[in-house]
Amino acid sequence: METSNRKLGKVFLAFAGICVLALPAIVFWALSYGPDEIEAATVETSQTTFDENSATIFVSHDALTRSYLEGTSSQRTLEEYYSRRQYSGSPPWIPHKVEDESRERIACLTCHEKGGWTETLKRHTPVTPHPENTYCRQCHVKMETEDLFVDINWKSILPPRLGRSHLPGGPPPIPHDLQMRGDCIACHVGPGAVAAIRVDHPSRGNCRQCHVPDSFTGLFQR
Amino acid sequence: MKLDRRSFIKLMAMNSAATAAATLFPGVSFGAWSTTEMASGGILWKKTPCRFCGTGCSLLVGVSGDRAVAVKGDPNCTVNKGLCCVKGYHSIQILYGKDRIQKALVRKNGKMVEVPVAEALDLVARKMQETIQVHGKDAVAMYGSGQWSITDGYVASKLFKGCIGTNNVEANARLCMASAVTGCITTFGLDEPMGCYEDIEKADVFVTWGNNMAEMHPVLFSRMLATRKNRTHVKIIDFATRTTRSSLAADRSILFRPQTDLAVANAICYEIIRNGWVNWDFVNKHVSFHKGKTNIGYGTEDHFKFKDKAETVDFNALKLFLKDYTPENVEKISGVPAKDIKYLAALYGDPDKKVTSFWTMGMNQHTRGTWINNLVYNIHLLTGKISSPGNSPFSLTGQPSACGTVREVGTLTHKLPHGVVMNPDHRKMAARIWDVPVENIDPKPTYHTVEMFRALDRGDIRFMWIQVTNPMVTMPNLRRYRDGAEKEGRFVVVSEIYPTPTSDIADVILPSALWIEREGFFGNSERRTQHNEQIVPMPGETVSNTWQIMEVARKMGFEKQFPWSEETYIEDIWNEYIQFHDSPKHRMAPFKVLKERSGVQWPYVNGMETKWRYNAKYDPACKQKDFDFYGKKDHRAWIWLRPYEPPAESPDSEYPFWLNTGRVLEHWHTGSMTRRVPILHKAMPESYVEINPDDAARMGITNGSDVKISSRRGSLVMKAMINGRGNPPRGMVFVPFFDEKYLINEVTLDAFCPISKQPDYKKCAVKLERA
Repeated sequence: METSNRKLGKVFLAFAGICVLALPAIVFWALSYGPDEIEAATVETSQTTFDENSATIFVSHDALTRSYLEGTSSQRTLEEYYSRRQYSGSPPWIPHKVEDESRERIACLTCHEKGGWTETLKRHTPVTPHPENTYCRQCHVKMETEDLFVDINWKSILPPRLGRSHLPGGPPPIPHDLQMRGDCIACHVGPGAVAAIRVDHPSRGNCRQCHVPDSFTGLFQR
Repeated sequence: MKLDRRSFIKLMAMNSAATAAATLFPGVSFGAWSTTEMASGGILWKKTPCRFCGTGCSLLVGVSGDRAVAVKGDPNCTVNKGLCCVKGYHSIQILYGKDRIQKALVRKNGKMVEVPVAEALDLVARKMQETIQVHGKDAVAMYGSGQWSITDGYVASKLFKGCIGTNNVEANARLCMASAVTGCITTFGLDEPMGCYEDIEKADVFVTWGNNMAEMHPVLFSRMLATRKNRTHVKIIDFATRTTRSSLAADRSILFRPQTDLAVANAICYEIIRNGWVNWDFVNKHVSFHKGKTNIGYGTEDHFKFKDKAETVDFNALKLFLKDYTPENVEKISGVPAKDIKYLAALYGDPDKKVTSFWTMGMNQHTRGTWINNLVYNIHLLTGKISSPGNSPFSLTGQPSACGTVREVGTLTHKLPHGVVMNPDHRKMAARIWDVPVENIDPKPTYHTVEMFRALDRGDIRFMWIQVTNPMVTMPNLRRYRDGAEKEGRFVVVSEIYPTPTSDIADVILPSALWIEREGFFGNSERRTQHNEQIVPMPGETVSNTWQIMEVARKMGFEKQFPWSEETYIEDIWNEYIQFHDSPKHRMAPFKVLKERSGVQWPYVNGMETKWRYNAKYDPACKQKDFDFYGKKDHRAWIWLRPYEPPAESPDSEYPFWLNTGRVLEHWHTGSMTRRVPILHKAMPESYVEINPDDAARMGITNGSDVKISSRRGSLVMKAMINGRGNPPRGMVFVPFFDEKYLINEVTLDAFCPISKQPDYKKCAVKLERA
């Protein structure tokens, strides 16, 4: 017992040492992303419907099998995720070949409502958080070219950062808007999820018991 | 908890690891975009109506520093309830194209030279005065659009009609919804739909007449799909000339031959009467019957004139008139099987079904546009399915403020903000509110849009100021009007945000502030007025169109009529403008209310919006029980006997194909804004010609191969699209008009509805060749 504790202590001490060596880097990062940065890209949430349709979370969670919930896949990265968007929260374009038009409204949801392995693309399918909207291609378009008509001077804010827990080991708050993205299970659980934002405790289905919206309102003042 | 050394180190280590993970990992350069300077300051959300279509979605624009950085749908707006389409979500990117016009340009010795805005405005005022002196007041003209903010159109009308004294004010909405206006006026005596978008949740059946809502009004289309999903008996019937996304999503797609919607609408009425589905209680109390002139022409010649004359008839006359329109007869003209006509009639006739009809350009861009609008109203009037929740003949507009700025402010040659120039009382009212002598307002309308460009070509008009529209892409029979505008002795001023084929022919280009760079108002399809505040600064030397017109007016000596200060002019203009509509039939919401809410519907009476007009339950202007069509002197809606007449030009042996033109989901009108949005351009980089697969196979045309399209007016070569987004029937081709590289309007015909003067962009004859 004594030895193993000591061993653990050594490991931690060594890690602490590395951390100290990395301190300048950390300080640099910390300076370039000050406390304000913690609020970066935090979106003021607005209540659209009763508790942001949070019932869908329970429904999704109930509907999924344990093996799906615990499924992992390292294929989707945050980099890829944001490369398909114009700003954090914009509808992504369609990155794969799609049949032109015919019967499309059924076709998209066949794969994207429930997810799962797709043999043609050799990937796990991402799941839409808003399957109630059936006319997918009103917002999601496919790309025909990489060229622009005219260059654009486009800027947006940083995507929300990860690991924004307010206390060490605490549950991070929800850094994005819940409008149309209120079903946590769709994007944060299962093999189709982006690896970096997949939760490590998918068996717990009441997500918002711990994860609350982080709105950009500043601190409480009387 | 007591910390010993060991546990302290443990905690520290964990803490640093967490910090290191948090800092090394995310948010560094994951976005496909560069970041704003204020990237870490959080963002503020501000409401605005969308810049694009007539649906009138409310957006929340995310602002960081002085830049718009994100968009989401406004959940508080009843129009879109938090949803947008791909254009709306990326709309803010239209502000940031690299070739944005930020300085005034003046043509000197054939070259465009940058000058200060004040100098350019001086030149515009001086040139206008000189032209009036030499050629008379009717030699100067203003051409605006349904994308004008309400205040832009209002000051334009006040300057030209009130101060200068010419009725040369038109807007591109003439090309877009003039037939909807004349349809409303001839049937109801007052313009704009009686219903509202809530009809979408209340209807049991939707019939879309020649429109493709999936691409042109996607948010409303999604609302319709949601209704069908929630109430599974709901049916969507697509009645059109070409198979589109909307046809694929519909429960039934019924195709008809171009122009024969007139015959089918009459056949539906025939069936309704034959089967005893007439709502007699409603018809006896609220409807009267009328007949107009027939064989009314197409307006393809200069100086074309037409005036309809109404003759009152009775129900028996209607019955007699309809006897030629049996479903079997109409099947021969329209190609629609008689059983499908009977099916449509049965849907409209079923007393237990609420029916909403939607239409846009298919019915409006039609050489008998007024007539087909009348005929669809006839169906709703015979069955009494009107002005009540779910029962709605609903004309959708194309542009964000076609209703607000053109139909309500009256930026058309014959119109005033209230009423028409021909009416002495209306002139008196305008003169009083505008503070001008009543003699200033000319009682004679001058030129409608097509005739206005003909007048420019002929030299009757010498000076034209164009704002917020791109006629050198959109005018039908384009070559004539571009050559005309470029003639010696014509002076064209263009207020623009990006270089376009129209700014290419300009003598002066004024840099305009756009949408959320300035304060303003739009008015959507369902009589909803929407205010937007200035959300981001005006770039460079840009100024609002309203301010440009006011400055020119003052330089011309009309300081008294345009006294407003830069800080409050938008609010001041609104307060003056709404005096024109101060009656329960059209009262507008006060400025303060508009500023707070995501749009307010008029008539706004005693703090209440009117959702269904002409219905005593909802409309305080009604004087009778149940319904009151108070727009007409007889307090009745008018059923019109309107026959089928063929289009101006039909396919023949030399030009065997119909040419149909229109829009696509990704692009707004001529693409001058949306083509500068990366995702929209990448999704739809260039125009094409849709060809039916059988025709293509017969002619040896393959997907993507070059095809030459020619008409009697012009020709162009573009790529073939087979089994693409839409599929025309055999004998028809379809070309989207957004691409300035392929000016399809050099091929189209400038025939128009003699009553509305709106051209028909959906029908002319062309031939195809492999190129």
